[in-house]
Amino acid sequence: MGTEAVIIQILLNGFMLGVQYALIAVGFTLFFGVLDIINFSHGDVFMLGAFVGLTLINLFTKLGWMGGGIYPLTLFMIFFFCMLITGFLGILFERFAVKPVSESPPLMSLLATLGLAIAIREAVRLFYPMGSESKRFPELLAPIFAGTSKAFEIKGVLLRYDTLLIFGIGVAVIIVVSLYINKTMIGLGIRAVAQDSEAAMMMGVNRDMVVDVTFFIGSALAGLTGILNGLFYNTVIFDMGAMAAVIGFSAAVIGGLGNIYGAIIGGFVFALTQAFSAAFIPRGSEYMDVVAFGVLIIFLVFKPSGILGEKMHERV
Amino acid sequence: MSEDILLELSNVTTVYGRNKMLLDVSLQVPNGKCACLLGSNGSGKSTLIKAVMGLVKIVEGTIRFDGKDITGQRTYRAVRKGISIVPEGKRIFPKMTVLENLRMGAFTEKKQNEIQNRFEQVFEHFPRLKDRSHQIAGTLSGGEQSMLAIGRGLMSDPKMIIFDEPSLGLAPVLVQQTFEIIHRINESGVTIFLVEQNAHLSLSISDVGYFLQKGKIIAGGTTEELKASDFIQAAYFG
Repeated sequence: MGTEAVIIQILLNGFMLGVQYALIAVGFTLFFGVLDIINFSHGDVFMLGAFVGLTLINLFTKLGWMGGGIYPLTLFMIFFFCMLITGFLGILFERFAVKPVSESPPLMSLLATLGLAIAIREAVRLFYPMGSESKRFPELLAPIFAGTSKAFEIKGVLLRYDTLLIFGIGVAVIIVVSLYINKTMIGLGIRAVAQDSEAAMMMGVNRDMVVDVTFFIGSALAGLTGILNGLFYNTVIFDMGAMAAVIGFSAAVIGGLGNIYGAIIGGFVFALTQAFSAAFIPRGSEYMDVVAFGVLIIFLVFKPSGILGEKMHERV
Repeated sequence: MSEDILLELSNVTTVYGRNKMLLDVSLQVPNGKCACLLGSNGSGKSTLIKAVMGLVKIVEGTIRFDGKDITGQRTYRAVRKGISIVPEGKRIFPKMTVLENLRMGAFTEKKQNEIQNRFEQVFEHFPRLKDRSHQIAGTLSGGEQSMLAIGRGLMSDPKMIIFDEPSLGLAPVLVQQTFEIIHRINESGVTIFLVEQNAHLSLSISDVGYFLQKGKIIAGGTTEELKASDFIQAAYFG
C-alpha cells in the first residue's frame, strides 16, 4: 500500500468508529442536558442493542427471511425493532434507576446508573445462551452480494460493503436526530427543558414526556450503534458496553457536554486520534487508547468546557 | 364561587421540607381585572405562584381557575387552561432565538395560523422584537429581554397572566414602561395577577390587592380600601 492508501485506510477506520462514538455521545449529552445526569448504563444499552440485533438476525434466519426478495425489508426490520426495543428499555431504565433518585444529590443517580449497568451486563452474561463467550456477528450485506466479492476497492484500499452500511446509516441517523431536535416542537421542548427546566414547564411543556422522549432517542441510538459495532468488529460480547460508555462519555466531554454538535465532533476527534496513533506511533495499536484518553485529559485541563461548550454547565 | 372570579385560592397551605410556606391563604382575582399580591422578600409570594402553577405540593385548601379545580394539577395542564406567566428574572431561553422563545410561549397551541396571528400581535406590542427575531435571546439587552419575556407570556393567548416581580432589576424608566405595558395588556381584556414588592406602583394599576407576610394574607381589598387603611399606609407608604 502506498502512503495515500494508508491515509485513506486510517481515515476510513476513524470515520467508521467516529460515527459510532458520536451516536453514543449524543445520548450522554442529551441525558445530561435534560436531566443533569451522567447515565453510565448507556454503554450497556449499546451492548443490549448488539444482542437484540443478533437475536433478531437469528430469528429471521430461522424464518428464512435472511435472503431473497424480502431481504431489504428484513434489514430494515432488524434496525427498526432493535431501536424500538432499546428505546423502550431506555425509558424503563430511566423510570427504574434515575427517577427514584431524582431528588437526591447527583452522585446518587451516577451510582444508580452504574449499578444498573452492571445488572444489565450480568443479566446478558447469565441469561443469554453461552452469554459469557463472545459471539460472531454476521455480515448483513453478504447475502445481497452472495457469490460476488464481499469487498470493493478504492485507491488500493479494500472496503467491505458492510462498512458502507455503518457509515450510511450512522450519518443518516445523526442528521435525522439533529433535525428532529432543531426543527420539531418536541425538539424545541427538549432544548427548553435543557436550558431551564422549570421555565419550560411554565410554558406548558410536559417535562415527564420530554424525559421519556429523550431517553427513547438516546437509548435507540445506542442500540442501533450496538448493531453497527457488531458489523464493524464481526463480534459482540457482554462486556463491550463498559469501554463504549467511557469512550462515548469522553467524546461528549471533549465536544462540550450538553451540546449535540459537540458530541458528534467529539466522537470523530476521539476516533481519529485513535486511528492516527494506531497508524503512526510504533506499536501504536497498543497505545491508541493511551493517546486518545491523553487528549481527553488535555481537554479537561485546558478546555474543560469542551470544543463547543461555552462554560462548564452550559447545556444543549 | 361567583362567575366574575377567575382565580380563587381557598385556605391554601403548602409545605417545603418541614416548613409551612403558605398558611391558610385565601384570595380572589376578579375576571378581567388586575389584582396585585404585595409583600417583602421571603413573604411567600413565589411559593404562592408556584402553588398556582402546580410546582409545589399543596397540603390543604383548593385552587380554582375559570370555574375548575386546579389544585395540585400538573403545570402544563394549568397552562392549557389559560394561565400564563412572566417569571421572576425573565427566565427566557438564552440559547434560543427570539422567535423560538416566542414559539415556546405558545407551546400548547397546535394551529399554525393561530400562532402566526399571535406573533403579529406580539410584534405589534414590541416592534423591536420583530427586528431581532432571529437573534439569540441571550445576546439581547436587559430591556429587550423583558419585552421578550412579556411577549412570550402573551403568546398562549391566556385568560390570565401572572407577572412575578416585573420591576426587579430594571432601571426606573424601564419599570415605568413595564407597568404601562401591563396596564395596556389588562385593558385589552386579559386578567392580570401582579406579584410585586413595589406596593405604590402596583396599586396604581390594580383594582384589588393583597398583602402577604410570613405566608399569611394580612390585608386585602380594593385598591381604594387599601390606600385608605392606616396600617398599610404606615407599613408600606410611611
